[in-house]
Amino acid sequence: MMKKIEARNIHKRYNNLDVLKGIDLDVDEGEVVAVIGPSGSGKSTLLRCLNRLETIEKGTIIIDGATLVQDGPDGVEYASKDKSRQIVCKMGMVFQQFNLFPHMTVLENLIEAPLQVQKRKREEVVREAEELLAKVGLLEKKDIYPRKLSGGQQQRVAIARALAMKPAIMLFDEPTSALDPELTGEVLKTMRELADEKMTMVVVTHEMGFAREVATKVVFMADGYVQVQGTPQEVFDNPTNERLKSFLHVLLK
Amino acid sequence: MDYVLNIIPQMLIGCGVTLQIFLITIVCSLPIGLVLAFGRVSSLRILRSLIAFYVWVMRGTPLMLQLLFFYFALPSIGIRFSDFSAAMLAFVLNYAAYFCEIFRSGIQAVPKGQYEAAHTLGMSYVQTMRRIVIPQVLRIVVPPISNETITLVKDTSLVYVLAMNDLMRTARNLVQRDFDITPFLVAGLFYLLATLVLTIMFERLEKHFSRYDQ
Repeated sequence: MMKKIEARNIHKRYNNLDVLKGIDLDVDEGEVVAVIGPSGSGKSTLLRCLNRLETIEKGTIIIDGATLVQDGPDGVEYASKDKSRQIVCKMGMVFQQFNLFPHMTVLENLIEAPLQVQKRKREEVVREAEELLAKVGLLEKKDIYPRKLSGGQQQRVAIARALAMKPAIMLFDEPTSALDPELTGEVLKTMRELADEKMTMVVVTHEMGFAREVATKVVFMADGYVQVQGTPQEVFDNPTNERLKSFLHVLLK
Repeated sequence: MDYVLNIIPQMLIGCGVTLQIFLITIVCSLPIGLVLAFGRVSSLRILRSLIAFYVWVMRGTPLMLQLLFFYFALPSIGIRFSDFSAAMLAFVLNYAAYFCEIFRSGIQAVPKGQYEAAHTLGMSYVQTMRRIVIPQVLRIVVPPISNETITLVKDTSLVYVLAMNDLMRTARNLVQRDFDITPFLVAGLFYLLATLVLTIMFERLEKHFSRYDQ
């Protein structure tokens, strides 16, 4: 099976604080990886390193066969600006705070990057964008500005916006953490549908139900390390790692 | 009333000078201010400091002093301007500094998440600025720019120290010639009319740029 993400020995520090201390992450095509762990464990940082929202101090990241960054004689060597932009485009990113463009309508949010970055034909891009909006159940909102939408609707638009770039991989950074509890369901449902379509996904989440039911692999991070990884059954049902045990214990209380 | 009609032609010529100063200043200082603002938030420390210094000097000294400086001091070291050019130079450089600060605060008010979203969609720096950041900055800066522009209408009267016959100086000359303060009232009306037009224009702009907020 083809590897979509290959991250080796990732090191990241913030002002003298080691956030990632040698992380390995492998994601195969069609896999849904849930990254869980206590806050401050570095899971969001890991995700942000994959698409160069953060730069790393050491390690290798290969996305869909293309090297984003690797170790060199004098520290890490990143791909050129253009190359790295192409690599980043292979990954759709969904943020905790949605980050929709407020000055553009829902449809404009979706077609912006395909038109400006991929230089595709408007007609085709609009048609596909409308299909995506229909898929997330928001076609009738296409001419509305994001501020008028609920958080759950905004997040579904954000997912559709990322999908409009036809990414090989989707990254989700705590996609439901900023939502009222009654709105998380609609976003999780959209993500579940994506997983059913065999989209390769990495999801940083606190939704243990989602991790257990949808993920094919669960990665538990704590203190800047991957402590445990395995199938949801292995991670949730018979944890042996002490950090994982106490994390799950606190959650289930 | 006859007297007013009598002085109107002269006052209109004064208005022309005032309008000229106003328009040239706006047209030149807004884009310069925007460019300076991008330098002010760039990652080049030396550029940032240079522009900060420039803004400090231009905002920290009276516009009147700057006018006199360009008019008297520069010729004394061999750089010669016409009255009008010296005045324009002072106005443009002064207002560019104010607009720079307005644009800078606008740029910094755009949330980081907007840049991050653009980055993950593969947009370049120029695309991000042009398509995502600047449209949002415009909405933020319309009210302070409106304020500054209305101040400029009245600041134009400072050119009287350079003996330029703008609206204000024309009015003063007429008052001194005729021993009648009517020209001051007429000049005041002209200024009020100008600021009224600007106020309405900026209100429309504000509405236009905030259409996605409602």
